[in-house]
Amino acid sequence: MASIALKSFVGLRQTSPENPHFAIQGKPIINIQPHHHQRRQRLHIVAGKFSPKVTGRNLRVAVIGGGPAGGAAAETLAKGGIETFLIERKLDNCKPCGGAIPLCMVGEFDLPLDIIDRRVTKMKMISPSNVAVDIGQTLKPHEYIGMVRREVLDSYLRDRAKENGATVINGLFLKMDSPKDGTTPYVLHYNEYDGKVGGTGEKRTLEVDAVIGADGANSRVAKSIDAGDYDYAIAFQERIRIPDDKMVYYENLAEMYVGDDVSPDFYGWVFPKCDHVAVGTGTVTHKGDIKKFQLATRNRAKDKILGGKIIRVEAHPIPEHPRPRRLMGRVALVGDAAGYVTKCSGEGIYFAAKSGRMCAEAIVEGSENGKRLIDEGDLRKYLEKWDKTYWPTYKVLDVLQKVFYRSNPAREAFVEMCGDEYVQKMTFDSYLYKRVAPGNPWEDLKLAVNTIGSLVRANALRREMEKISV
Amino acid sequence: MSSSMALFSPPNTHLPTLSPSSFPKPHLTHKPYIFLRPKNPVFLSKATSDNGAGSLSSAATAVEPIAEPKVSQASEPALEKNETSSSSNGSAGTAKEVEVVSKFEDPKWVNGTWDLKQFQKDSKTDWDAVIDAEARRRKWLESNPESSSNDEPIVFDTSIIPWWAWIKRYHLPEAELLNGRAAMIGFFMAYLVDSLTGVGLVDQIGNFFCKTLLFVAVVGVLLIRKNEDIGTLKKLLDETTFYDKQWQATWQDETPGSSKDK
Repeated sequence: MASIALKSFVGLRQTSPENPHFAIQGKPIINIQPHHHQRRQRLHIVAGKFSPKVTGRNLRVAVIGGGPAGGAAAETLAKGGIETFLIERKLDNCKPCGGAIPLCMVGEFDLPLDIIDRRVTKMKMISPSNVAVDIGQTLKPHEYIGMVRREVLDSYLRDRAKENGATVINGLFLKMDSPKDGTTPYVLHYNEYDGKVGGTGEKRTLEVDAVIGADGANSRVAKSIDAGDYDYAIAFQERIRIPDDKMVYYENLAEMYVGDDVSPDFYGWVFPKCDHVAVGTGTVTHKGDIKKFQLATRNRAKDKILGGKIIRVEAHPIPEHPRPRRLMGRVALVGDAAGYVTKCSGEGIYFAAKSGRMCAEAIVEGSENGKRLIDEGDLRKYLEKWDKTYWPTYKVLDVLQKVFYRSNPAREAFVEMCGDEYVQKMTFDSYLYKRVAPGNPWEDLKLAVNTIGSLVRANALRREMEKISV
Repeated sequence: MSSSMALFSPPNTHLPTLSPSSFPKPHLTHKPYIFLRPKNPVFLSKATSDNGAGSLSSAATAVEPIAEPKVSQASEPALEKNETSSSSNGSAGTAKEVEVVSKFEDPKWVNGTWDLKQFQKDSKTDWDAVIDAEARRRKWLESNPESSSNDEPIVFDTSIIPWWAWIKRYHLPEAELLNGRAAMIGFFMAYLVDSLTGVGLVDQIGNFFCKTLLFVAVVGVLLIRKNEDIGTLKKLLDETTFYDKQWQATWQDETPGSSKDK
């Protein structure tokens, strides 16, 4: 049953996996003459095969931004024999971020266990009418959601890239000059700080054959290839140090609050960090009211964080969907710069690192380990693979958000639904391992009926509530 | 889970938007409204007695529950002032001793659930009253969000109300209308098809095309209950395809990029 559902999602895409050449081709299907189409495709392959060799050196690639996406990309590139430059403005940047990573990331990226501050094994969902549901009872003993500090994770990934031969440059990327043809290099302009604190740094330039833009939501690389904008949510978060006796409760537990008071289209959270908790909320539609929502979130968690001290307040944008253009020429965007954050859960670290790696793999493969120049076609392979692999995940979460975050009754139904063990098992399986496990059809059916029941009941109550006010 | 949700999402998406708009009309003329009437004033007085002990702001809420949104807005600036002063001190906004602890209280609300024993009528539980009570509670919570607490968990679950109670309450008046409508449409369709093609009623039922037509009519009657529903459905369709369009944008504007590459 699950597989059928997923297939139907893929089918929604214009470039469905059955005919990937449209993706390479890229014209609306209607205008394409079959003959023309065939020829262009052949041309493309030929171009890839006989792309000029780089002589006297290896392919040079610059990675802009040293977050999980940049770090993972640089490591893969360096390992693949490519001359890699990683430009990062602030090497000890602790980005405001929930910091949750799924279990599979630890294995796939070979992360050491000591960078994980906390292992969350319990989640509490709290509905608008304060019905609390524990999720995570179905977790096996070795399963958990890792909580990391971004400064720790980012610098670990960067260091590993460095060990593998990447050059890490502490500098601020300013702009780049795009070449006229497919062989001349890109010229990057940046300010080099070279470890010095303060000062404006030295103006430098760097010539590279390809660029990976991993510089986050306000990406300058995206701007320079005119990648277009995305809608974004604003996430507001306060780090609160709470008394030790209160912290015990948050030892391995995260809380999610839903409700119109907390956020009209997202959720409010209390996440445990190394020695404090992060309390925050996010919204797309009512950005101006974010302070009010934050207050409401704190109010909902009131007793549990009583007596806490705010040690840090942060806010940052979260992309809602990919940018209209994710690559041009030999420049590709990955991570937040491309807009790879899921709806509903707002997860981005894993997808950033994964997209960085996937893009780098495409470059390594296309350049035959740095021996040849690459072109747009090589980078397109990364986009194709990415969309094919993860589009269903994004779509499912988008549907979930649209169905269950739209109103208070829907949220009540959502929380009711999360009380179901089967739901929890499926949610955690797909979150922790990033694959949609085939469900049990009978259970799926039962779940669907129950969910519809919950929604109908909650909406019936809503109607009743409307009558009261009239 | 996600997969099955995916499968069933379209009907789900419809439900929340469709249902609120679809019912008020029948209710205006129907008995639920009538029996709600005498109950509301009772609630008003009850609320007053419940919250009477509270401070000024909550007292105001109690006297005029209808104006609740206004009241909560009025109390908002006070809260925020409170918060800015506390955050300038460097301490968390949790330092809100000044704020009135407003909790939902009702004699029938015991230990985080409705005490069903108090809803007995003729030695049977009066589920209608439970639904009313829960609706009032949620309404109240909406304007007075309550802090969650681990010591007093909310255990009330709407699924303890049996399904027939919901159906009895909501479905019957609506069903009458829909049945009537479906019957009329069905009759005229049959007449139309018969007059145009000469196929009789009995033959029509055996015909695949006519069966499809019947299905379309039934679904149409169910989905489009009022004229506004057409607009709502259209909006929903846009909404569901919006995200797909955002993703496909990458693949559409590809032509200029690749031509430049050449």
